[in-house]
Amino acid sequence: MSLFWIVIRQLAEIEAMATSKKVITREEWEKKLSDVKIAKEDMNRLVMNFLVTEGYVDAAEKFKNESGTEPDIDLATITDRMAVKKAVQCGNVEDAIEKVNDLNPEILDTNPQLFFHLQQQRLIELIRNGKVEEALEFAQEELAPRGEENQSFLEELERTVALLAFEDVTNCPVGDLLDISQRLKTASEVNAAILTSQSHEKDPKLPSLLKLLLWAQNQLDEKAAYPRIKDLSTAALEDPAV
Amino acid sequence: MPTSASSSAPIASSSVSAQSRPVPQDLVGRLSSSAISHEAKLKALRDIKNQIIGNRTKKLSFLKLGAVPSVVGVLASATATATSRIGCGFIGDDHDLDSIIIQSAAAVGSFACGFDAGVQAVLDAGALPILFSLVSHPNEKVVDAGARSLRLIYQSKLAPKFDFFQDQNIHFLLSLLNSENENVSGLGASIVTHSCETKVEQNVLEDAGVLKKLISLLAGSMIQRDASLESLATLLKENPAAILKILGTEHRGALDVVTELTRDKYPRTRLLACMCLIVVRNSYPSYLQDVRTKTQLIAILLELLDDAGQVGDEAPYALSSLIAGKEDMQKLAFEDRVAEKLCKHLEKGPLQARRLQGIFLALADLCSLLECCRSRFLSLKGLQFITNALTNDNADVQAAACICLRNVARSVKNLSAGIFMNEPVIIPLVHLICDASTSVQVAALDAISNIVVDFMTHKTTFIQCGGLKQLVQLSKSMDSTIRLHSLWALKNLMFLVDDRCKETIFAELTQSTLRSLIRDPEAAVQEQALALVRNIVDGSVECIEFILADDALLFHEVVRQLQCASKTEVLVQGMYVLSNVASGTELHKEAVMTQLLPVRPGDNQSIMFKFLQSDDSRLRTAALWALVNLCLPNFPGTYRRVLSIRNAGISSHLKNMLHDPCLDVKLRARTALAQLLIPDA
Repeated sequence: MSLFWIVIRQLAEIEAMATSKKVITREEWEKKLSDVKIAKEDMNRLVMNFLVTEGYVDAAEKFKNESGTEPDIDLATITDRMAVKKAVQCGNVEDAIEKVNDLNPEILDTNPQLFFHLQQQRLIELIRNGKVEEALEFAQEELAPRGEENQSFLEELERTVALLAFEDVTNCPVGDLLDISQRLKTASEVNAAILTSQSHEKDPKLPSLLKLLLWAQNQLDEKAAYPRIKDLSTAALEDPAV
Repeated sequence: MPTSASSSAPIASSSVSAQSRPVPQDLVGRLSSSAISHEAKLKALRDIKNQIIGNRTKKLSFLKLGAVPSVVGVLASATATATSRIGCGFIGDDHDLDSIIIQSAAAVGSFACGFDAGVQAVLDAGALPILFSLVSHPNEKVVDAGARSLRLIYQSKLAPKFDFFQDQNIHFLLSLLNSENENVSGLGASIVTHSCETKVEQNVLEDAGVLKKLISLLAGSMIQRDASLESLATLLKENPAAILKILGTEHRGALDVVTELTRDKYPRTRLLACMCLIVVRNSYPSYLQDVRTKTQLIAILLELLDDAGQVGDEAPYALSSLIAGKEDMQKLAFEDRVAEKLCKHLEKGPLQARRLQGIFLALADLCSLLECCRSRFLSLKGLQFITNALTNDNADVQAAACICLRNVARSVKNLSAGIFMNEPVIIPLVHLICDASTSVQVAALDAISNIVVDFMTHKTTFIQCGGLKQLVQLSKSMDSTIRLHSLWALKNLMFLVDDRCKETIFAELTQSTLRSLIRDPEAAVQEQALALVRNIVDGSVECIEFILADDALLFHEVVRQLQCASKTEVLVQGMYVLSNVASGTELHKEAVMTQLLPVRPGDNQSIMFKFLQSDDSRLRTAALWALVNLCLPNFPGTYRRVLSIRNAGISSHLKNMLHDPCLDVKLRARTALAQLLIPDA
């Protein structure tokens, strides 16, 4: 990405100029930055990429209208994807499965691990709701055959069924399965699979750019004192400590 | 039944579950019923689809209920209705009808996904032409559903072959490949992958511009990229002309794109790109020669092995085809610690059968040529992994373990140390040679063949484990492949064995069986039978008596083959039998003389003369060995034999053989000639 290369180039320049730690004043720094050209369209695309990947469909729609930036994906599919994600987060796993299958039936048919995790989540929800009999029936009918096909699924299944053995599930060794984080984990797995099936990155680009910025600053710290950005949310330049 | 009201009451929980997961029989019944509303039918279709997706067991049970013809029936009638409406000029959305088509096409696709019985049922129900008709439907969602299902069908080997020799088919294929819709162009590429098998087909497709189109799809979506990588490999396989073209100016950079894709973020894309490059390298050896690229390929494939899904299952097979038969690659793999990494996976276990099989095949290829690889693998408890896999319950895994053992047992050092000749290895192997699957039998026989070469001391272990009895049984098999491989093992068992052991083997095998094997209908079997006899008569003078006993019936059987067999390999082995006999006593030498020297009625040359003039250097060498043994000095009859050989005009021919292009022949000819001169001096 362009921002990354700009920082790298500056880094190389500085390396060439000085062997000892060089001090760069705010004026020099701002002057250098003002020489760097970044296209507005690139910025817009980055923002659109963030909105789309994170699933802010209304915002993406508005942003599209106001900035004229075309998203690289059909916005309607974002709504569908967010609905799936939300369904898992709320524990409506069956509903989520049906929605994924409507979106693209290939996803769960060709991704046994994801399918198993969704079924496992369904089992967890049944246990959470105290439907012991139904949970056992479901585990036996739907999950046991998957365990036969795959050893690691069997181990996960055993761990899940173990929930039924404890009176106080919140304090048992497998209690983490009932945690809300388990739902979030499953939800993000489905989300990533849907994005992959749409040839879309599963992570937005903006965080990676910021990671690159931090990394580049750390590299630069060894060579020079300069106005660095400490607070990413304000992106304020702080005066170099001399 | 009230659903919402009862869901909170615990007592009604089972009825709730019945409601939310409808019984398969009812669902299938609803599809074929005419007295049912549109909505109910659509719901039944969706329910079936949602139950079978990702669930093999459910696919099978619905299949058994006859669901596939019912679903295809619904698809057919909905498609027919839609077609007639479009034909009548109906414009606009027909949402209900489209939904039925989409749901039924999706269900059909799921039945065909990774499930051969399902593919067969779908094909039998006549779904293929209906699905193809959906590809040109005005509703993009319908097109998606149809193309997706077709892609899944064409991933199975059961799908019918697409005929590329008809112009309208090629046009249709190009229209698929040119489609903007990724599922449709992906379908086009999948059809190429599935149906292009011969060189002629490769050429037809290339001439039609398919190669060019596929290269352009490499820049497309993930579906297009993956499908294109696979079909590119199909078009380039063993096709150096096309590879030259792709390396040339017109498609410059195409392989750079593929190389770039080996570092793609999707594991499946990485794997397919690697496989494509491997095909190019294997079909066009001067490509991909720099060590860095080769090392990178190995590293990528090893990393893909960590993938928990299908990609990880397939990675070892790609690794296998990268290193098979190529010493340079195996050396690199050795340096890149491939053995260590594969063994780590075996240790971590338990693994799925497909993956386990692949890992053993990759290890087999790794150990096929280089001793350093074999000893590294053995030092990593390799033999333990193999013996465990020999008792695996999957036939493919057993066969792969046998193939790996066969290659590891090429290690002369470990063979002579006798590390393979022990019960934990031999007992399961002897068990496997009687397996129901021929491929397992053959693989186990080949492993035994190598192990029993063992030098001297350990062969009795094999016989004590019942191996000999089984091999002899199998040498009488109706299946010529089994006869061949069991005989091969018996031959190796007979190699450099002491006389007492020879007697045991010979007694078990019997002279009459051996005779019938020498005149087996298969030349390859004859060759092994003669090679076995050659090993019997190799060694002490006493063991030559084995084939001269009983009126020398066995000996005459060998001679008969020398007179009438046409295959050089058979003649070579027969000649070595006689050569070994000629190394024996005066009596033995005379027996050989009377067969090799005289010109038989109807022939214009003696056997000896004919073979000395053979085009095949192996046969010339064998004949010279016999000659050398016949004229060994210090035997009472040597002078007489030398005279008859000279009189037969052989010595002048031997002088010509001093200039033979084959070094071995040259050397033996010189020895023979020297012997023929001695008595005069």
